[in-house]
Amino acid sequence: MILSVRDLSVSFRTNDGLVRAIDGVSFDLEESEILGVVGESGSGKTVSLLAVMGLITDPNATIEGSIRYKGRELVGLPPRELRRLRGNEIAMIFQDPMTALTPVYTIGWQIAEQIRAHRNISKAKALERVEELLAEVNFPNPHEAMSRYPHQLSGGMRQRAVIAMALSCNPALLVADEPTTALDVTVQAGILDLVRKLRATHKSAVVFITHDMGVVSELADRVMVMYAGRVVERGSRMELFSDPRHPYTRALLGSIPPLTGEKPCRLPAIPGSPPSLLRLPQGCAFGPRCPAHYEPCVTGKPDLGSGTHAVACFRVAQA
Amino acid sequence: MTDKDRPILETRSLGKRFSIGTRFSAEGKRTVHAVDNVSLTVRRGETVGLVGESGCGKSTLARCLVRLYDISDGELLFEGDDITSKSLAELRPLRRRLQMVFQDPSASLNPRRRVGDLVAEPLRIHGKLSSREITARVAELFDLVGLLPDHVMRYPHEFSGGQRQRVGIARAIALNPDLVVLDEPVSALDVSVQAQIVNLLADLQEKLQLTYIFIAHDLSVVRQVSTRIAVMYLGSIVEEGPAAEVFAAPAHPYSQALISAVPVVETTPSGTRQRIILTGDVPSPLKPPSGCRFHPRCPIAADRCRTERPELREYRPGRKAACHFATV
Repeated sequence: MILSVRDLSVSFRTNDGLVRAIDGVSFDLEESEILGVVGESGSGKTVSLLAVMGLITDPNATIEGSIRYKGRELVGLPPRELRRLRGNEIAMIFQDPMTALTPVYTIGWQIAEQIRAHRNISKAKALERVEELLAEVNFPNPHEAMSRYPHQLSGGMRQRAVIAMALSCNPALLVADEPTTALDVTVQAGILDLVRKLRATHKSAVVFITHDMGVVSELADRVMVMYAGRVVERGSRMELFSDPRHPYTRALLGSIPPLTGEKPCRLPAIPGSPPSLLRLPQGCAFGPRCPAHYEPCVTGKPDLGSGTHAVACFRVAQA
Repeated sequence: MTDKDRPILETRSLGKRFSIGTRFSAEGKRTVHAVDNVSLTVRRGETVGLVGESGCGKSTLARCLVRLYDISDGELLFEGDDITSKSLAELRPLRRRLQMVFQDPSASLNPRRRVGDLVAEPLRIHGKLSSREITARVAELFDLVGLLPDHVMRYPHEFSGGQRQRVGIARAIALNPDLVVLDEPVSALDVSVQAQIVNLLADLQEKLQLTYIFIAHDLSVVRQVSTRIAVMYLGSIVEEGPAAEVFAAPAHPYSQALISAVPVVETTPSGTRQRIILTGDVPSPLKPPSGCRFHPRCPIAADRCRTERPELREYRPGRKAACHFATV
């Protein structure tokens, strides 16, 4: 087991009151497994991963629960220790590659610096490694690319450079937060291919955050669906897509227009919009938008329960 | 020709050039052909979807169509009337009938004004309505787009993204336009909200007999709303035809790659769908490749493609492609 998260909650004190960004999230990750985390904006998918990375430094934030990486507790670990893990054993890719690249240095310099921060090797050796890495992420001309500045590369190439940087220390865990959202579909297809290939060669476990159900279904081994800070459904790719059980998962899948076959006259849309975390509805947060809403949904929050295919819904539990 | 068949909007070899740099910059003054030789006909009541990767010129084309940009080459006709070089004053009465909805509703709505005011603005500028009539019309518009009557007093930041886009749509339809150009209207929205807006647009089209030009990079959304689609690559249209046919059997290798790259939810074990992965990036429009502009990335490029640029030709009624080897 690479990562084991139990009852993770993150709340922020704000001027408008306490915001529970995530509430009781638990999941496990095995070696070389790809976990897809799907949800809309504000569902807490990014915050839960930032917590895993120890990147929530806001003094107004409270983190509760347990995050175990290879058996070692990460919550409460001193920043120095965390820094040793981050970039080395745990790496992260963000949506916008420019947040991870500095515009004033060349790609080669930046990746070499990252390697030398964690490994005790010479500059020349590090640069050799950079060239290998850039070749691995399919740069057509890796040697030349090393002397390029980020602004000279296209969005897809920048994201490849960031992936090369993330892989530079052979991480056991790779966290990718919407890495393809800002890219065109043709470029996205290439990046997804790359992630699949790298999982095979580097044996890294990957947590892949996205809002795109299609991307998850193509990439993930297991899937976790989040809504308003809680996990509403969790299961293997096959379980989740061939037998979605939570009304939210079903509705979300239903509201995506099909690319082939009969075109529906109207899309089955979910009414309303995701709730504000400041004013969460009573009971199940999806209740007010749920077609299967009934009395118990107001009284308490449904538990996810255990098992490989777990669903947090009173209706499903009852059936 | 009856009024029904007459195209509402037509472009003939339309082009838009931008010059970048100055004579003092390293490469000197250069010209980008953002839109190049586009001939497109839009008939009343249909929805034409424009698709393509970022930088292919679809938004520039959209802005040319409503004359937010001045047109560099070719002609633009609105109901048979040449509006290519009409002055702003002459365009004014036309603006009422040609509207646009933008991608980011929070950028197109003034944050300091109440949304009721924002929706009333076009009515004040163009209409000769009394203030009471304006209030009544705003209430009617709010109802049409699914906003509550008491929302008029709110500010844009008090709304969710989906509601803000509803305000943007209300503003666009306030003057009963004939044609609405929608530039990525649902791209910034969450999936669950996206479907609501797509449905709303379909309802409004039916109720108000609107013609849409719909731009999006999400191909499944485009397929849902469009009757016809035009695929753009590096400033030109490479394929055009009825949406259902193009999606079922794309003729141009670029359209084939584009459609195959869309990730779809599959319930079967992985690897059933054939995918064409394009190598390389979209070339810079500053230095477009010779011959067919797609040839450096094209899986079936031949010698001819490097030298001879294919014309967009109709190889079957209603279906056009610009490829020497289009799969007919």
